[in-house]
Amino acid sequence: MKKIISCSKAIETIKDGSWIAIGGNVLHRSPMGLVRELVRQQKTSLKVVKTAGAHDVDVLVRGGCVESVDAGFISYETEYGLATYYRKAVENGSVQANEHACYTVISALNAAKIGVPFMPVRGLQISDLIEANPYFDKVIDPFCGEEITVVKAIRPDVAIIHVNACDEEGNAIIDGPKFDDLLMSRAAKRVILSTEKIISNAQVRLNQDKVVIPGFLVEAIVLMPRGSAPGSLPGHYDVQDKVLREFLERKDEDSFGGYLDMYSVQDQEKGGGFSW
Amino acid sequence: MVVKTQQSIHPADIMVVTIAHLLRDKERVFHGVSSQLPMVAILLAKAMHAKDLTYLNIPGGVNPQSQHLSPYSSAGYEQYTRSEAVFPLEEIFDLSMRGQLDVAFLSGVQFDMHGNVNASVIGDYHKPKVRLPGGAGSAVLIPTVKRALIWRSKHDPRTFVEQVDFVTTKGNIDRIITPLAVFKYQDGRLHLDAISPLTTMEEVVKQTGFRVNTANVSILPLPTAEELRIIQKIDKHGVRYKEF
Repeated sequence: MKKIISCSKAIETIKDGSWIAIGGNVLHRSPMGLVRELVRQQKTSLKVVKTAGAHDVDVLVRGGCVESVDAGFISYETEYGLATYYRKAVENGSVQANEHACYTVISALNAAKIGVPFMPVRGLQISDLIEANPYFDKVIDPFCGEEITVVKAIRPDVAIIHVNACDEEGNAIIDGPKFDDLLMSRAAKRVILSTEKIISNAQVRLNQDKVVIPGFLVEAIVLMPRGSAPGSLPGHYDVQDKVLREFLERKDEDSFGGYLDMYSVQDQEKGGGFSW
Repeated sequence: MVVKTQQSIHPADIMVVTIAHLLRDKERVFHGVSSQLPMVAILLAKAMHAKDLTYLNIPGGVNPQSQHLSPYSSAGYEQYTRSEAVFPLEEIFDLSMRGQLDVAFLSGVQFDMHGNVNASVIGDYHKPKVRLPGGAGSAVLIPTVKRALIWRSKHDPRTFVEQVDFVTTKGNIDRIITPLAVFKYQDGRLHLDAISPLTTMEEVVKQTGFRVNTANVSILPLPTAEELRIIQKIDKHGVRYKEF
């Protein structure tokens, strides 16, 4: 029960300059309410890690929260085009794009998950990415004497993940695609969940096969129905098309303020006002 | 049904059919984000000659059976629902790393004659003129998958260049499919393999920024009425046109 806290309290625990892993993939099941709260609290110099990000990274960059992004792909998909705020920030030098192949993000998190400093990666042999980025290097395989590329471990200070349901200990159920969230929950030092609903421990005990993040790894839980909006929660709700279009088209400060305000009740009310 | 004339056929339909013909039965085939056109091609191949093709995607639905296709995503619930098993992205990469993935669909923004692919930046990597979305899985999948199929909805001298600005990855490309043509990668070079029936050789040469050999180039067939019928059934709302 102590783990269920308000959105603002949960995000207050994240320090400026933290490495932060963001769950979900492109426009699907991102923890958007938690992301917006990072902006409201004006966090700075965050180091974001994700295989493929879209609106989440774009919102954080627009809010001035980001120092670097380690990812394989940052863009909305075909319909909504490029992540325009991210792109401009990288082009003007205010955000550093650390490009990975998506798999090297997974490998870097896997290294952290199993507690080793780096991970060998097959395939990445001829690529300017190796020279351009300090987190890639080549080493000699001590057993075969052949060269192999390695990627440095990424151990996020915190993973923020949106789930369909969890109990008050954070035993969490994700319906549908899990993306890289389970890996993130194991690789990160701390895990903060937002959840569509709180279920009882008895319900969890009848469905333990469905629990993909055990509560003992979870530090804080924020109750947040529609916490992935304006993104989708696969199988439950779809994207808010109009909100995404306005976000991308209207680039003035007022409209960004309006965007954050529009969700302020939704992001705060349930978690903030929660009493057991 | 009205038989479509050549003029009414969209280049995307030719690309879908061309790609579908390149897929073989029983192959394990993967596409990632922003990949609606190859997604339709995979579903077409499965409906025609490749019923036992295994269709893999980011959410991890193996051979999903969605009633509709998303207008904005190729990595959502539609690729997961009513699938026969769950085999997510991480495992698809692993499959490719150990040499057991047959086909992966990837794209990019610049390609040169030597088979270099750029999906990263225009200009300098650290001070880019244009920051592109990034290569996603390209840098590890293109070298490890058995056949890397690249598609790009643009074919112009800024896309097919003498020298790419940045090498995201290189080599092991099976083919590059565009609205105008198909390139084949052989002996370390891109060769013009076929051109679209909707264009001319002059146009392809003009729109390609490196010298192409125009000998032994075939003309792609027009989609058959049956192929167009199946495509329309799979993709009622035309997500295959989204990139154009």
